[in-house]
Amino acid sequence: MNSKYLNEQTVESVLAADREGTNELSDERNVQRATARYQAEFPYERDEESEVTRREFCNFLFLTSSALFLGSAGFASKLAYNSTIETTFTPSKIEGAETMQIGTALNFRYPGENDTAILIRAANGEFYAYEQQCTHLTCPVYYSKSSDQLECPCHEGGFDVHTGNVLYGPPPRPLDQIKLEIREGNEVWAVGRITGGGHESA
Amino acid sequence: MNQPSEQSKNGRRILTGGRTAVWQARLVLLVMINVAQLWILSATIEAALAAHYKQLIPLVIGSGVCWLIALTIFLWWKPAVRRPLRPERRR
Repeated sequence: MNSKYLNEQTVESVLAADREGTNELSDERNVQRATARYQAEFPYERDEESEVTRREFCNFLFLTSSALFLGSAGFASKLAYNSTIETTFTPSKIEGAETMQIGTALNFRYPGENDTAILIRAANGEFYAYEQQCTHLTCPVYYSKSSDQLECPCHEGGFDVHTGNVLYGPPPRPLDQIKLEIREGNEVWAVGRITGGGHESA
Repeated sequence: MNQPSEQSKNGRRILTGGRTAVWQARLVLLVMINVAQLWILSATIEAALAAHYKQLIPLVIGSGVCWLIALTIFLWWKPAVRRPLRPERRR
């Protein structure tokens, strides 16, 4: 009750000051005359506000709608097209793998120069290699020695280092695994890829 | 409450209030469509990055349907031209 009374008093005083022309707050009914000091402190251009008509705003919204549609279609088309390009998997030696210690990881590129992959020498001494892209949103995964698993820092996904299977987090499928061969003693070669979930390419 | 009509010089009533309502409705609908399309775009990007290519076509179709609705609102769903009503019978 008291606050309502105060509000009515405030409104009355503002209206009275408005009638007398001594209102220092602002004239909100006319945006061009809203020139009180506190209004200058806000980064809000009232002159520009009055220049945007409903018709212009409507045009802007329609253009935004068109841009969003084209964006969706373009993005989907490009990635769908990329998925149809066949990749060749030529055997490639992974430099530096011979000297890897147990519990360390090494980055390399396979099958192309733009495809980053990660080679891990796990706690059991075996080599494992995976595409370094999380299957959730393609963030790069890294090897965590303390937990002996692959982790994605973006959304906290975790993968088994031995199989590439999802341990926790949002990734929907296992990591793409790189097929390895040990040749001539200690040389480690990448010879193909197994898509997370089962499809094998070589 | 304001009357959605006013008296012209020759005594005829002309519609006014409905135009504002229609304009507001157009803008609100377009804003809602934009929000829906933003959501679809983010879902498209997420599906594409996760290699869920089967989800892309329905998402793009959904965005296209939204765009078509926006197009119809933009082109055809406009306030009617002011139409004078029948003059009231004078006594």
